[in-house]
Amino acid sequence: MSNNSLNNLPEGFKGMSHDMGSDQTAFKGVQWGKVMMWIFLLSDTFIFSCFLISYMKGRTSTVVDWPNTSEVFSLHVGGVPVPLLLIAIMTFVLITSSGTMALAVKYGYEKNRKMCGWLILATAIGGLTFVGMQIFEWSKLIHEGVRPWENPFGAKQFGSFFFMITGFHGTHVSIGVIFLFIYARKVFRGDFDNGKRGFFTTMKSDYVAIEILGLYWHFVDLVWVFIFAFFYLW
Amino acid sequence: MSDEYNQKNTPLEAKSSETMSGTSGTSSKDIDYVRPAELPEQDLYHGHSFITKWIFCQDAKIIGIQYFLTAVFTGIVGLVLSWLMRLQLGYPDLVPFITPEHYYQFVTMHGMIMVVYFLTALFLGGFGNYLIPLMVGARDMVFPYVNMLSFWMFFIAVCVLMASFFVPGGPTGAGWTLYPPQAILPGTPGSNMGIILMLASLSLFVIGFTMGGLNYIITILQARTRGMTLMRMPLTIWGIFTATALAMLAFPALLVSCIMMTLDKMLETSFFMPAILQAGEVLDYGGGSPVLFQHLFWFFGHPEVYIVALPAFGIVSDLISVHARKNIFGYRMMVWAIVGIGGLSFFVWAHHMYVSGMNPWFGFFFATTTLIIAVPTALKVYNWIITLFRANIRMNTVMLFCLGFIVTFVNGGITGIFLGNVAVDIPLSDTYFVIAHFHMVMGIAPLMVIMGAVYHWFPLVTGRMLSEKLGKWHFWITFLGAYSIYFPMHYLGFIGVPRRYYEMYDSPYVASATGMNEFITVAALIVGFAQLIFIYNIVSSLSIGKPAGKNPWKANSLEWLTPEVPPAHGNWGEKLPVIYRWPYDFNVPGAKEDYITQTTPPSEVINAEVQKT
Amino acid sequence: MHPGIIFLGVIVGSVLFHIFTPWWWTDIASNWGAMDDTINLTFWIGGGVFILVCLFMVYCIFMFSYKEGRIVEYKPEDHKLEKILTIATTVGVIALLAPGLIVYNNYINTPKNALQVEVNAWQWGWQYRLPGEDGILGTAQVTEISDDNPFGINLDDPNGKDDILIEDDVLHLKTDRPVKILLRSLDVLHNYYVPQFRAKMDAIPGIITYYWFEPNKIGEYEVLCAEYCGIGHYAMRAKVIVESEGNYENWIKEQETFSDLIAKQEKNKLKKNLMAKNNN
Repeated sequence: MSNNSLNNLPEGFKGMSHDMGSDQTAFKGVQWGKVMMWIFLLSDTFIFSCFLISYMKGRTSTVVDWPNTSEVFSLHVGGVPVPLLLIAIMTFVLITSSGTMALAVKYGYEKNRKMCGWLILATAIGGLTFVGMQIFEWSKLIHEGVRPWENPFGAKQFGSFFFMITGFHGTHVSIGVIFLFIYARKVFRGDFDNGKRGFFTTMKSDYVAIEILGLYWHFVDLVWVFIFAFFYLW
Repeated sequence: MSDEYNQKNTPLEAKSSETMSGTSGTSSKDIDYVRPAELPEQDLYHGHSFITKWIFCQDAKIIGIQYFLTAVFTGIVGLVLSWLMRLQLGYPDLVPFITPEHYYQFVTMHGMIMVVYFLTALFLGGFGNYLIPLMVGARDMVFPYVNMLSFWMFFIAVCVLMASFFVPGGPTGAGWTLYPPQAILPGTPGSNMGIILMLASLSLFVIGFTMGGLNYIITILQARTRGMTLMRMPLTIWGIFTATALAMLAFPALLVSCIMMTLDKMLETSFFMPAILQAGEVLDYGGGSPVLFQHLFWFFGHPEVYIVALPAFGIVSDLISVHARKNIFGYRMMVWAIVGIGGLSFFVWAHHMYVSGMNPWFGFFFATTTLIIAVPTALKVYNWIITLFRANIRMNTVMLFCLGFIVTFVNGGITGIFLGNVAVDIPLSDTYFVIAHFHMVMGIAPLMVIMGAVYHWFPLVTGRMLSEKLGKWHFWITFLGAYSIYFPMHYLGFIGVPRRYYEMYDSPYVASATGMNEFITVAALIVGFAQLIFIYNIVSSLSIGKPAGKNPWKANSLEWLTPEVPPAHGNWGEKLPVIYRWPYDFNVPGAKEDYITQTTPPSEVINAEVQKT
Repeated sequence: MHPGIIFLGVIVGSVLFHIFTPWWWTDIASNWGAMDDTINLTFWIGGGVFILVCLFMVYCIFMFSYKEGRIVEYKPEDHKLEKILTIATTVGVIALLAPGLIVYNNYINTPKNALQVEVNAWQWGWQYRLPGEDGILGTAQVTEISDDNPFGINLDDPNGKDDILIEDDVLHLKTDRPVKILLRSLDVLHNYYVPQFRAKMDAIPGIITYYWFEPNKIGEYEVLCAEYCGIGHYAMRAKVIVESEGNYENWIKEQETFSDLIAKQEKNKLKKNLMAKNNN
């Protein structure tokens, strides 16, 4: 009785709600861990939105002028200030690492252990480079006298929001890098091929985990694009 | 997407129950058809030692009880604080150690404890953990390990909160809304360690709750048993699910405001701090916006109200249906009302800020959205009382608590319409009318549900019934007492008595209220002490209560249908249950008994004229 | 005793309490009678719904309490009834909302002839500033505040020179003239609230908020702070005296302007210098 009923399912929006509301799972064939990551990222989106909206409100309501960002963030190359140089490289590195992550997921599902592992390592190194350059930029600003509580170039909220938001994002990247290294090790060891149980959770490992980590990594990149736009281009 | 799933298809059906339970003959097989299992059997970690079984436990039921007990402990602390406040208000000079400083600390801690650490944790952490896997037919939460971490994070948050009572300066006295600039300036008690610990504790709570919330949502969405469609879930699950979804989206705002205020306090950033002159000195702050904090806080704070209310709505619907022996009226509308209220609750936050100095034009928008939310809420009330119409109502303690809920909730809901309507709110805001309103609607009403739910599910958790006689005494004292605390309190608000006043009686027109304040204090003490009956009832029933047996209330929903009572780890023994209907088939015409459980296949009740499955 | 009787008692008791309560609005002393009207409207509609819902509930528990073998209605859904209830509720809500929004529109639009009064709030007290002859308040800043300049008026702003300064928590107002209260706070949130005027608004450091009303009853009123502002919140009271135009004019003549204050301070300084010289 069930075999032919596939042909006369409702279509369109009705069909979608029918599927969502059907028994057992709302998202058919999607792993628990993957749904978890999506919902976590949705929640995290709200955190970053709150930060960025606060930033917009803070920036528009200060009594002192906001510093000229293209000057503050410029690098001096051979004595000439080049605006956005460092940020452009940082953004490029981070987005490239998103690409290597996507490839790692692909090779993971193909059970190509070596390629998958190397690409995860490449992603992790991209992330590390990003964090390194961020540390460089922070120390440059701190050297110039910018602090969370004061700012020689203008409104003091500039320093507070900049350090808080990029710091929060940088923490996300750093956590991602740590997990990338752990997963690289797991891939090379073959945990995902033989379904070894995890250290804490005693759940069986599976290559889906790499896609889940990939989701996180892409999210962190996407957030950076917004931070980039709001801090450096505005 | 399908690749990863297909690989797992082979082992997964092996263990789950493929055969139809209780069917015979080919004709019944067709009407009893349920789709085969989509999911593999869940691997469970079975604890062996005392520590892994009872302390760092991964069984959602134990975690639920841990949440419940911890939340009740903080709730008792909150109750004692409210007594101290009431003593000060009713008999100002009676207790010498209640200085203004202490009074404001009690107010603050009472509010924060009751809203966040008591009600939220109790409904979602306590009832959510215990009931979700049982009601949707799962063996456990989907990530038991994360679930365990969630509880211990909550536990640490409670410890940090309680620690603030013992630091120099005491806990924060900033009011539970923690409005800056006042919250972190020396004019407020506990503005050093107190406020820092409060913010830290809230952040820990949010982190812990996120771990638990992911579990609740995904268990409900992705781990239901065969036949359990979304529209067959008990309303309890709908309420908890929607509340958790709200929490996942609302708590980020709280976390962000906590982080920013912590930085304002510790690093002297100026997110919320404009230029301030205090004690003749201009402070190092400047350029920040205090109203921004209020927006962030209430973007969390208003959904928070529904995070408490929606599980209560859901649970009370189930309790009413079971004990009125009648299906809940308008199930689908109830579901849409819960989801609709949840969605709308993100667009009403600024009705807490009508007199906050935000752009006055917001008032029109938020008054409108707020009153729109009254429509689905009113529909829910109608459906509860229509469920009682032409039913067969058992007048036991559980039902009494449900009726008490309806009275207090309707009362508090209607005063909510006063406060949501912007022109009406202006004279009433920041007066005792507000206090009376929210205690009625999100204090007493959810408490009625919690107590009703304890009487209802105690037999499931412990295998013994609570004493009905003590239960009725407990109900009447609590209900009548609480009603006589908060009903007259509205009239204090009409007079114009502002909230958060340590002392108020030298105002000429307020002096007339002294008698009422004394009365309210006495009532509050009685209601508080009446809870000892409840505690005694629970403790004594653990050993001398009447054995409950299986399904003592003749309920339909899955949690009563486990092979063992109380349910064991893994809940379902060998085979997962299979679901054929919604949980509200009571008194179906043509059926032999007055209830048909969710696991009863259609072929067994062939004569029943079931309308909704 | 049947529980229905007690529930009925609760409802009847609530109604009786409302009828016989000695606690009700303070007598209104401003133009915001419309707020009282919207509250009364909400009260009657809301109270009616409360009584109806609860009476229906009591009726149900009287009529349908448990009896073995009672025939129970089985009707999971009734679309017609649900629709009627939805529409009726929506109509009721609109009836409550619409008048409220109209009153609110009046509340946020100040009449042109309103007298401006600036209220300064601080932990924990009040002071006031009125515009002088020019009818304009000078700009002011928290950072300018000093012993010589208690309101922080910008010294370069000519509008500020004739501002009338009242370093006292008693404010006089004349009857039947709209007043626009401009709220400034020097430190934390406060709220200038006179129950008899019905209106209120928070004072926020860093920005100026406002509300207006028209006092129409001569008398003395107590001002309460209605936004929690620290330990002294409950003690942060002040006084408003509403009086006839003549009395008001007499009062205002006695008050000091900012230029008077500057002159006085200059004189004091001169005196001090002289004294210092003499001592030498």
